[in-house]
Amino acid sequence: MVKEIEVEPITRLEGHGGLRLVLGDDGKVQDVQFNITSTRFFEKFCEGRYCEHIPRITPRICGICPIPHHLTPTKAVENAWGVEIPTPALKLRKLLINAKQYSSHLLHFYALAAPDFLLGPMADPALRNVVHVINKMPEVGAMALKMMDFGQKLCAAIGGKSVHPISAIVGGMKKPLDEDIRDKFLKEIDEQIEFTKKTVDIGLKIIEDYWDVVANVGIVPTYYVGLAKNGVHDIYEGDIRIVTPEGKKIDYDVHKYLDVLGEHIPKHSYATHIYYKPAGYPEGIYRANCLAMINAADKMATPLADEALKAFRDKVGKISHHTFAYHWARLIETVEAIELIKTYLEDPDICNPDCKTLDIEPREAEGIGVTEAPRGLLLYHIWSDAEGICKKMNLLVATNHNIAGIEKTLMHVAKQIFEDKALDGLKLPTPWIK
Amino acid sequence: MAVKVAFWQNSDCWGCHQSLLNVHLGLLDVLPALEIVYWPAVVDFKYDSLKNREDGEILVGFIEGSLRTNEDIEATKLMRQKCQIIISFGSCSCYGNVHGLANQWNKDNLVKRKFTEVESIADDSQGEPFEHVPGFIEKIVPIDDIVKVDAYLSGCPPKPEQIVGSILFLLGQKPFPMNELAFCNECSLNQEGCILDAGKICFGPITSIGCTLKCTNNGGVCVGCMGPSKTVSSKIDKLNNIARDLSSISSGDKKNLFEFLTLFLNVPLMSGFDLKGDILKQINNKGNIETPLANLPPSIEEIVTKLLNYLRDNRNFHEISNVCDTCSRIIGSKSSMIRVKRDYEGLPNMEDCLIEQGYICMGPVTKAGCGALCINVNAPCTGCYGQTKWGVNQAERFTDTILKNFNVTISKEDLLSQVKDHIGTFEKFTLASNREFKGGK
Repeated sequence: MVKEIEVEPITRLEGHGGLRLVLGDDGKVQDVQFNITSTRFFEKFCEGRYCEHIPRITPRICGICPIPHHLTPTKAVENAWGVEIPTPALKLRKLLINAKQYSSHLLHFYALAAPDFLLGPMADPALRNVVHVINKMPEVGAMALKMMDFGQKLCAAIGGKSVHPISAIVGGMKKPLDEDIRDKFLKEIDEQIEFTKKTVDIGLKIIEDYWDVVANVGIVPTYYVGLAKNGVHDIYEGDIRIVTPEGKKIDYDVHKYLDVLGEHIPKHSYATHIYYKPAGYPEGIYRANCLAMINAADKMATPLADEALKAFRDKVGKISHHTFAYHWARLIETVEAIELIKTYLEDPDICNPDCKTLDIEPREAEGIGVTEAPRGLLLYHIWSDAEGICKKMNLLVATNHNIAGIEKTLMHVAKQIFEDKALDGLKLPTPWIK
Repeated sequence: MAVKVAFWQNSDCWGCHQSLLNVHLGLLDVLPALEIVYWPAVVDFKYDSLKNREDGEILVGFIEGSLRTNEDIEATKLMRQKCQIIISFGSCSCYGNVHGLANQWNKDNLVKRKFTEVESIADDSQGEPFEHVPGFIEKIVPIDDIVKVDAYLSGCPPKPEQIVGSILFLLGQKPFPMNELAFCNECSLNQEGCILDAGKICFGPITSIGCTLKCTNNGGVCVGCMGPSKTVSSKIDKLNNIARDLSSISSGDKKNLFEFLTLFLNVPLMSGFDLKGDILKQINNKGNIETPLANLPPSIEEIVTKLLNYLRDNRNFHEISNVCDTCSRIIGSKSSMIRVKRDYEGLPNMEDCLIEQGYICMGPVTKAGCGALCINVNAPCTGCYGQTKWGVNQAERFTDTILKNFNVTISKEDLLSQVKDHIGTFEKFTLASNREFKGGK
């Protein structure tokens, strides 16, 4: 008898999704679907809007990563209109996107992922959540909250609002950071770096505890897509970098994206499957997000993060297909984010009022903007008319870069579980929270 | 005993939840009072667990997000069935939010653009997905079009303190009073330069210490956010004097009074929160207060009663509360709108009203509640808290309002013709509430 297993909804996920597994009567996995059950048509209703207003609409695509969705269309319009922004604005934007990276990665680590590991995969679902973690490990919980709070407050200080920021404008930023506010964050930065180190220690201990899982479950060779500037890890700008399953790295100018990134419309998901076009679908399925970024990078942009990258590569190799290594990769990126936050906070330019160019003239042209959002590559393609009104928009959002890769991983793991019974002999640690 | 709450997300961005989580350490106070029975973003209960609950078993249900899919509609109805109180949480469920802009097109056009036309589709897989996906509804509508809503908490997103304030208010958990001493005891202006000495309202004499004194240190007044203190400062007489005759207070003081009622008494009226326990609503409906203000020291109760009586006699008070009331920029400034500027043009100064500097700012026609966050970073308001008046042509209403009350020296016709995108400018968050764009309705 054919058996269907449904998980509805997938929890601790940003967005709407379900999982559907079909097992044949021979016990073989016949089908795995990752169903994303909503979409809102931003690519249509941005038509007719002022191009400079798009960055004030699109943050609503994601309340966790509204900052990349604010900055990337701004960059796309600047690209279309040929606008150069002043250096202080560039630095403010980089500080802003790293503040977001920091709080989002920590939210992911502590609120979305940690409950699985701290309570163990067999724990009561009613307790397997961040609320319980905070109750049982109040010191770690308080530290985690203080870290997220720092990141979100910094986002709000620069962006005006942490959720759905407004301060970036075509041509730069609407306002520099006030010095007294900057000083407040500077006072806390060293404590945050210490917190980050403690978080890395917790993460590495978890990885060590669960090494049997990390090394044996969900090892899925795929392509990877990331952003790198001259080979260096960068979340604000650079080339699209594809990593082949064998570890070969290929850089593409973002303006060539239509040659590189293809969308496949699955019959069972509103989130499309984006893949590496030259390899075709499904062969060109890739994964995005932190592990992809770490696989893509030649080096990290900051010293502590680069050390962390070396330690990672010593353990898992130059290219990692370990799905559970995403958590580790995320911590490496978190270290880089807090180091960059410190660098930019110490740069007087972020308080420099010369943060917006006045030399802006709309023109009929198309422009492309790209950043790396906390969940993956983010690309906006905007067509402006002569008055600067949006004629058309195309979007390749972070999550969609990962959907096909996630589904492929789910299929792999489902086979491991149901066909190979590979989980049976796995060594699991005694949970920290019992 | 912990109260059962459920959080549901329709089609949206997670931002209202992120805003709630932004309370961070403040969550530690709230969480023990709640038994979260459904919150897919955070806890692992599945849809069936919600379906299997008794009708009305859950006290409060927060519904976030726009109605875009058939699943959204079904789930919203299910939540209504299971929850005693439904809160329309955030501007998506209140008004449709930016997603409502899609109501300019038929569903088929939307589907075609996304699943057939976009430039990056690279194989022959075009067409609307159909397997194990819920299907889209024709036009987005606010949730109160399909279920009864008990309370509205607008904003994109609502501010964290509004969300927690609302939860605490529902739970009756806000402790009265807080600390022993009043704000004045720590205020740097206590000896010299006291705001009350200048005849302006400041709630320092009756408000708990414990904050960072940011407001008075930065030239503002204490608006009472820490709640009542156990004892009052000697300056209370001055506050009492002002409270005796509120009819002549300035618009700035009205604004402070408004914030005070929200923060001090924990009446979240600025967010459009509207429940039986809402003091403002009680006054509006019956002319008196039914909720006992428990444990307030008598001298504080006296002042609070005066303020509430003023509200009783000025029932339209909350109508003055638009974003401008919470904005510190000068209206009637040295600037004047002589033509409409686009947002990318120039860089406005931080002192003068953005409208008077030539920009379209929706502050005068947008409900207060945000604290003018956008304007504080030099970006115009685009109206995320919702309109102060419904069922009218918003472009005309905006223009009439600013021609009357602001330094604007162009004609209504010129202004309206200079704005190229009326829908995106004047109804960005609320188009789904506009009957003209609801199709069959």
